[in-house]
Amino acid sequence: MIKMKDRHITEILDRASIATLSESELNEIRVHSLECMSCRDAFEAARLSAVVIKSRVEATIEPSPFFQTRVMAALREQQAVESVPAMLRLWRSAKVLVSTMAVTTAALAVISFIQPSQTTPVVDQTASAYSAYSVIMDQGADDQMSYEQVLSTIYEDDDDAR
Amino acid sequence: MKAYTQLGSFEGRGSLEGWLTRIATNTCLNMVRGAKRRPEYTVSDLTDDEQSWLEQQSAGDGGEPASVENSVVATDLADRLLSVLSPEDQQALLMIDGEQASIKEVAEATGWSESKVKVRAFRARRKVREAMEKLLSYKNSRVSG
Repeated sequence: MIKMKDRHITEILDRASIATLSESELNEIRVHSLECMSCRDAFEAARLSAVVIKSRVEATIEPSPFFQTRVMAALREQQAVESVPAMLRLWRSAKVLVSTMAVTTAALAVISFIQPSQTTPVVDQTASAYSAYSVIMDQGADDQMSYEQVLSTIYEDDDDAR
Repeated sequence: MKAYTQLGSFEGRGSLEGWLTRIATNTCLNMVRGAKRRPEYTVSDLTDDEQSWLEQQSAGDGGEPASVENSVVATDLADRLLSVLSPEDQQALLMIDGEQASIKEVAEATGWSESKVKVRAFRARRKVREAMEKLLSYKNSRVSG
């Protein structure tokens, strides 16, 4: 069995603050420290550490003279930001996206409406040509039409195409 | 500032005091974490004032650091010793050993478990004590040298 004076006391020192150690624990430390140099140094270091930490906590830390001014300025700035209507804040953050979408939509609309009007004459020409073609090809089948009627039908179709 | 701006997030489950304490604690921890840590703790930069203060304390005639000068020296020394600790360990040590807060109070203020608080305080005491031992051995070597 290890005698009390042979047990190192560093664990006692680290378990609690020196100020809160019981009298029996302090006695154990003192007895052991008489014969153990390393534990005596540890006890001295723990005692001084406790003094230093206590003085650190007791030290009064004054805020800088501009602390209050800075805090109040920051508060006013924040309140100013919050007073802007929500829709306006939303618009500020989303205006780039909305503008881009609007331009894209307009471009799509232009492409959709202009492109078909360019192709329409082609379709009409085809239809007229077919009409003229049918007249020409049906010429043999429709013997009742005179030569003038055939020509006028073809020219009418050409005029419609223009 | 933070409490004022986040007042809407207070749900009223706990006390207002506890809520404010938690905000202050987390803000301070973040500030300490953000501060540049000393890369390595060295005892070679022990000043003459600090050495003199340590000698007074070791001789047993210092008692409590009564004068303003002594308080400043002790505070600087404390900052140097505390720099070897993580912000969380610093907080546990300062609250328990400095402000005599109970384990339970620290646990409530920080949101840590009581076991965690005990472990942090134990580890912090040991590290600070070891750092102080280094300082004392350096002081003794300067005196004898």
